[in-house]
Amino acid sequence: MASFDSKTISHIHHELHSLLPSEPALRTRALESLLAEKKLIDPATVDAWIEMYRDEIGPKRGAAVVARAWVDPAFKARLLADATQAIGEFGFAGHATGHLQAVENTADVHNLVVCTLCSCYPFSILGLSPSWYKSNEYRARAVRDPRGVLAEFGVELDEGTQVRVWDSTSERRYLVLPERPKGVKEWSEAALAKLVTRNSMIGTERDLSPARAKA
Amino acid sequence: MDGVHDLGGREGFGPIAGKADDKVIHAEWEIRDFGIKQSSAAGQAWTIDWFRHCRELADPVDYLTRPYYDQWLTTLAAQLVDEGYLTLDEIKRGALAFTPRPGRPPQTPEAARASVKDPRSFVVNVNAPPRFALGQTVRCRLDGGSGHTRLPGYVRGRAGAIHAHHGGHVLADASARGEKRGEHLYTVSFASADLWPEAKGSLDRVFVDLWESYLEPA
Repeated sequence: MASFDSKTISHIHHELHSLLPSEPALRTRALESLLAEKKLIDPATVDAWIEMYRDEIGPKRGAAVVARAWVDPAFKARLLADATQAIGEFGFAGHATGHLQAVENTADVHNLVVCTLCSCYPFSILGLSPSWYKSNEYRARAVRDPRGVLAEFGVELDEGTQVRVWDSTSERRYLVLPERPKGVKEWSEAALAKLVTRNSMIGTERDLSPARAKA
Repeated sequence: MDGVHDLGGREGFGPIAGKADDKVIHAEWEIRDFGIKQSSAAGQAWTIDWFRHCRELADPVDYLTRPYYDQWLTTLAAQLVDEGYLTLDEIKRGALAFTPRPGRPPQTPEAARASVKDPRSFVVNVNAPPRFALGQTVRCRLDGGSGHTRLPGYVRGRAGAIHAHHGGHVLADASARGEKRGEHLYTVSFASADLWPEAKGSLDRVFVDLWESYLEPA
């Protein structure tokens, strides 16, 4: 039975610090084989998770959703009203997206998503999160110095554009709906999806116009 | 708890590294740690909030310096030791002394495949009506308590406006103690200018999801 006792866990952490190997790769090896021997994990299930997140679930899902919202106003309305329901139309609702909210960038508003207390992320729609999203630097600075963070990512905003930072403190998760770039009027939904980057759906990228890559 | 995990607004952190890095996995052990944690056996009363709290309780230096999925793995190990499914002595010797009977057996591959397609809901019915209305000004409690909480330090004592009401959600603080209790959940909108002295005159806002007991009428 779990102790639900902070001091007990703190003590165990300190013991583990000295008992486990000092290299993370060796810690994995030591614990994985012991847990498998003790039948606390099924190695086939560990492989299943790895396969799903290496091969199937990633930001291409989010990009498909964004492109659909750009070409289909009725879908966009559904996405903004209930994103979990809307991504369900693609079969993408699932891991950590039971309470998903889409937040829309406009000419005057830029959205940025963070989790200051851990590293909550909408897995089933964006896959595993990038390292920078989980970094101390991003978690500390995104709420206090969002414009400084954005400038580091190459996003320069004028003062009249409002930055809205969303701190994922509950089980609700956020997906930024970037603005559809100009000059892609005739583009197909599939071609538009290729313009949408993972960072643009977290909020650390803003301009998705095809010309930007060359600039 | 007032731990180092509560990073929002802490100063002195430098530039963000790895911005152009598109790879989410850099070594095999990282994704193995992810897979092990996702599929491991657990105690009957396990909750995600208890897991988050156990991660917060790591040594502060380890918390700030060890890789992310590595922290998932060591936190899992701490929980399994706490449950009595694994002993420190077994870890020391690298050999098993007994086979435990966990409250929740390890996940099967089929269950793993089903779980990623399950948009799990944390909604819980709350009979009491919501205490706060949309647009109302509220102030966050000053004290976060020494257990798990999702009230970040940087909003404590600060006033914001109720931006949205989401109905009853599992209260993280109680869930981290093994109690399933719902409470009204709100998104509170704070003017950056009310949070940070250097943001004076700024239009920017920070939105934080906060449970009703974190808030008082302002």
